[in-house]
Amino acid sequence: MSSLVILILIIAGFALLSYFGHSINKTAGNIAVFAAAVLIPLYWFTRVDFSETVSFTISGFQMELGYNMYGKLFSLIVMILSPLALIYALGYMKDSKRTGTFYFSFLFSILGMTGILMSRDFISLFIFWEIMTWSSYLLVIFLGKDVEKTGIRYMVFSALGAYAMFMAIVIIHRNTGSMMLNDYFNAFGNFSTGTKFLTGILLMFGFALKSAVMPVHVWAPGAYSNTPMAYTSVFSGALSKMGVYGLGFVVINLFAHANLHFAGTILAWLGAVTAVLATFSAIFQDDAKKLLAYSSIAQLGYIVTGIGIGTELSIFAGLYLAVLHAAFKGVLFMAAGAVERQAGSTDMTEVTGLIRKMPLTFFASLVAIIALAGVPPLGGFVGKWMLYESLINNGNFLMVIMIFLSSTAAFLYSYKFLFGLFLGQEEPEFENVKEASPLMTIPMLLLSVFLMITGSFPGIVFKYIAEGMTDLGFHDVNWQMSVLTNAWGDSVNLQHVTLSIGVVFVVFLIFLTWKGYKKTYYVSTKDISSSGEVIKPEDNMTYSTDFYKPFERVLHPILKRKIEKYYDEFGEGIGALFDFMRRIYTGNGQTYAFYVIVFLVILLVFSKNIFGY
Amino acid sequence: MQAFLTYSIYGTALFLMLLGLYAVLMKKNLIKIVIGLSVADSGLHLLFVAVGYINGGTAPIFSPAVAGTGTVMTDPVPQALVLTAIVIGFGVTAVALALVVRLYRKHNTTNIDEIKNLKW
Amino acid sequence: MTDPVYFIAIPLLTAFLLPLFGKIYKPLIGIIPGLVFAFTAYISFDLYFNLEPGKPVIVQMAGWAPPWGINLVFGEFSGLIVSLITFLAFLVWVYSYNFKKVGFDNSKKYFTLLMLMVAGSIGVVLTGDIFNMFVFLEITAISSYGLTAFYKGRDSAEAAFKFLLIGSLSSTFILLAILLLYKQTGTLNMAEIAIKSQAIDPKIKSIIAILFFVGFGIEAEMFPLNGWVPDAYSQAPGPVAASFASILAKSGIYALIRVFYTVLDVEGIFNLLLTAGLLTIIFAEFTAMRQTRLRRMLAYSSIGQMGLIMVAFSFNTKAGVFAGLFLMFNHAVIKTLLFLASGFLTYSTKQKKIRDLDGFGKIMPFTSLMFGLGAFAIVGLPPFSGFWGKLNMLTATADSNLYLVIALILVVAVVEIIYYFKVIGRLYFRERHEDVNIQKPTWNAVLAMSILALVIIGVGLYPDFITDYLAKATNELFDKAGYIKHVLPSLSLN
Repeated sequence: MSSLVILILIIAGFALLSYFGHSINKTAGNIAVFAAAVLIPLYWFTRVDFSETVSFTISGFQMELGYNMYGKLFSLIVMILSPLALIYALGYMKDSKRTGTFYFSFLFSILGMTGILMSRDFISLFIFWEIMTWSSYLLVIFLGKDVEKTGIRYMVFSALGAYAMFMAIVIIHRNTGSMMLNDYFNAFGNFSTGTKFLTGILLMFGFALKSAVMPVHVWAPGAYSNTPMAYTSVFSGALSKMGVYGLGFVVINLFAHANLHFAGTILAWLGAVTAVLATFSAIFQDDAKKLLAYSSIAQLGYIVTGIGIGTELSIFAGLYLAVLHAAFKGVLFMAAGAVERQAGSTDMTEVTGLIRKMPLTFFASLVAIIALAGVPPLGGFVGKWMLYESLINNGNFLMVIMIFLSSTAAFLYSYKFLFGLFLGQEEPEFENVKEASPLMTIPMLLLSVFLMITGSFPGIVFKYIAEGMTDLGFHDVNWQMSVLTNAWGDSVNLQHVTLSIGVVFVVFLIFLTWKGYKKTYYVSTKDISSSGEVIKPEDNMTYSTDFYKPFERVLHPILKRKIEKYYDEFGEGIGALFDFMRRIYTGNGQTYAFYVIVFLVILLVFSKNIFGY
Repeated sequence: MQAFLTYSIYGTALFLMLLGLYAVLMKKNLIKIVIGLSVADSGLHLLFVAVGYINGGTAPIFSPAVAGTGTVMTDPVPQALVLTAIVIGFGVTAVALALVVRLYRKHNTTNIDEIKNLKW
Repeated sequence: MTDPVYFIAIPLLTAFLLPLFGKIYKPLIGIIPGLVFAFTAYISFDLYFNLEPGKPVIVQMAGWAPPWGINLVFGEFSGLIVSLITFLAFLVWVYSYNFKKVGFDNSKKYFTLLMLMVAGSIGVVLTGDIFNMFVFLEITAISSYGLTAFYKGRDSAEAAFKFLLIGSLSSTFILLAILLLYKQTGTLNMAEIAIKSQAIDPKIKSIIAILFFVGFGIEAEMFPLNGWVPDAYSQAPGPVAASFASILAKSGIYALIRVFYTVLDVEGIFNLLLTAGLLTIIFAEFTAMRQTRLRRMLAYSSIGQMGLIMVAFSFNTKAGVFAGLFLMFNHAVIKTLLFLASGFLTYSTKQKKIRDLDGFGKIMPFTSLMFGLGAFAIVGLPPFSGFWGKLNMLTATADSNLYLVIALILVVAVVEIIYYFKVIGRLYFRERHEDVNIQKPTWNAVLAMSILALVIIGVGLYPDFITDYLAKATNELFDKAGYIKHVLPSLSLN
């Protein structure tokens, strides 16, 4: 049997094994999950033959599985992040109920993603896409919170995206007689303009929706923050990348190669707008999970912008950011989960000063935040640099300003996250908080080590990206280990930069520690001078409350108009319409009989028009 | 005269059907509705027989007494059909009346407008 | 090879003898119907799988050759539907075998009526005589009225009366159409009508077509003729609702297809069917969205599915018919599962409201799982069988260049997802607040639901289990000349 099929079967088998294992007892289930976390990537790295293809015909449709380099790049994300998240979940979900369902859905969503990345035809792509969707839906509502609102919203938007793809697929099938991706790409040039646009835009909509691009991003904040954090790291880190994966195909292979650059440009603009608005929204979140969710949307905005611009460098930047985002958002969501589990909440106005209690979590978050913010020693800087450069080369100065604005504003929420949870005063109620179990910290630390390495040796990742880009039609992408080249011919050796910054950092750290041990003393949060204002006991006086109040006041007019509101109103309107429509079933049998007769009479009257005799 | 007869039969059949339909659609009393259904059915049955009738035809019986005389026979098929249809109509009416009884016991009314517990 | 007459004769006979058996030995009331259904299922499968390609089994009743005698045609198309009906009827029996345990007395009447309904439906599908089809349809209908009114305490009489009222109108129209057809062609044999139908005055033919359309449309749950459906489905016992969806509605749509594909050649009807189907989908699914009672929701969803099937058949292409058959298969199997599961889910709740089902996933794990599986399958999520039906349906739609119809079907599918997933959310992801004494599913109900679930998953993973048969049935339906040639070897299309 082909190694690809075996891979799928292994994942499905482990999903069932973990489910039934957990229904026997927890240990058995956990062993199965651990085995899955080890064996699935092991099999992928050692046994999977990337040149292999499997084709078969089902129900008259030809289907084919097989990796290409572009898919392999994204599989790398899935195969590195998901096992770590699974191991993390072993710690995170230790005391939860219904863990069987959790791991079952978790592994099935990995199956979906793996399948998507090896699909060479639309049907298997769609099947795996839907499997990914429903399994992630089960996880979004897993905790039983907001089932109606967040869960249904997630499912509705996912379904809209998936069905847009579905429509594109059947129209493609009608025009090419085939379901293969390649046949579509090859035939695209010969399509009529209408079909070109219809199929391309529908596909783009489907993929853009998964990557939470601006007008259709509303499912994301709720879904990301509502899911158990053990899965959110994969959800935001890997699953949303499936949209990016598809966008790469659509924007590059279809539109760019057919000289329809405007589609990519629109997408890039949407990405930039998403980045700015989501960043602003993230700043004002008090819940760390929500903050990270919005931050994810913003980061996906950069990635989409990069892909949308469609030049060699910008795609390179986008893909690099995608890889990094998987790593640092993985860490951050895991950290938020660790805090939630150990301290009981992720509300930054309640939880403060955990740095001494959870130093490892703090360290991992710090590294991730640095990578996220794009501060030089870590990888984020390289990615942003490339993105700016590609935008400037392309002459999109306004977009540069927007991206720059949003990544500067990202500092605000990055800081808020770190400060809110880990720094500040130590509250007595969190005195007994302990560091999370090694099962949770080790995956975080591993990912942060990865982030540190990519900071100085981005070439590790560059190699795969360059390989992947050959499938998008960019051959011989120019990259060199650790050297960043720009269009003006300057080159910077990153190791020097990293090294020098690292030295400064260490020196500063030593200085601070030395200084800190001398003169610090502890105050409680309530130890506040209030200049005559009487503080009521219920007032939340944590520093993180109204953290960016003045800034919020300035941005209020922009953020006031939430897109969610319009969707909700639309939904309500539709609901009212449906309620009106169902009045047609009056409950009176005679009325129904009346409908029958009226229907008959109408048909008889118009029989000439119907039958055209 | 013959034409008049034919048309009057067709007319009666049509009239009965429309009358039945009228009762079904307009009358509020369950029993009247059932009667309407029955009347409409009768109209239809009449129509069946009328269609099968051939002018001056005899009963479609092959017997030594009649055979070979060259007389025209009416079409037996519609008559057979009508017998079946009558039986079916009878069955339906019986079920309908049984339901009416049950409805009356439950709702204490035979007004169809007041029997709408199930709606929307 | 067995004679297809047994399909109809044996259930019909035993149905009336059942009370007698009950007098002899009480448990026979439960067992005999099972034997009958198993037997019909067995012979239909036996016949169907041994069918020579392109050669339907024709039975002449009472020794009269068609067009004079009534004949039964067991071909690849009708055989497929009959096999499906008998299979599901058997499962419904398995499910309701010891329903008595859960407070379901009077199984004598129940099984008598059920057998009558099944026999009638099989007759509708098999018969080659248009009046005979009417008779069987009436047998089906009358027994369905009885089954709808089965429970005494509820509003079942109201539902049954509405059903009866509309059903009688339907039978009047069909009878009128048959009369007109007989007047025009002088025959009742469908094959012979098919030959002669070209000669009918188009004006009269259109009236006949409309009468058939409305008449069969009522059974096929077409909008706006489907006022009885939600009431009947929600008031009848669970397995009866299941058999309505899988058997009654199927025989209605079969009659519609048979008449318009084989008997009458009226092109214009297909556009009408498309319009009616789309309206059916829209109204049904949108109404289902706002339902608070589980059964009614399922009923409206069932109407929506029937609308989809009508749309598929309205393309008048092979791809469309293939998709329509696939959808019929899916609807029969999945809706049966959903209704069977809902029977136990709502058993202990008084109001049968969806919101009463909070947290049932924990207390009724198996039934909830089955319901969830059915819901996943019916909205067309892979890897369940519903997906392949939807895929074929949409490719067929695209092949007919009806892009707007695709969009509409998909938008409606989103609505469908919303209301099904709301139920799943309540079942699994809500806490139960008040205690409820639940009714655990009996072992035979578990068996019936498991079989259906296995079929759904099996076909979902490997649809080619059935695609061959569906394709053959499609070819047979389009081979009108072949049908006529086999039924009336002496005549042929000129």
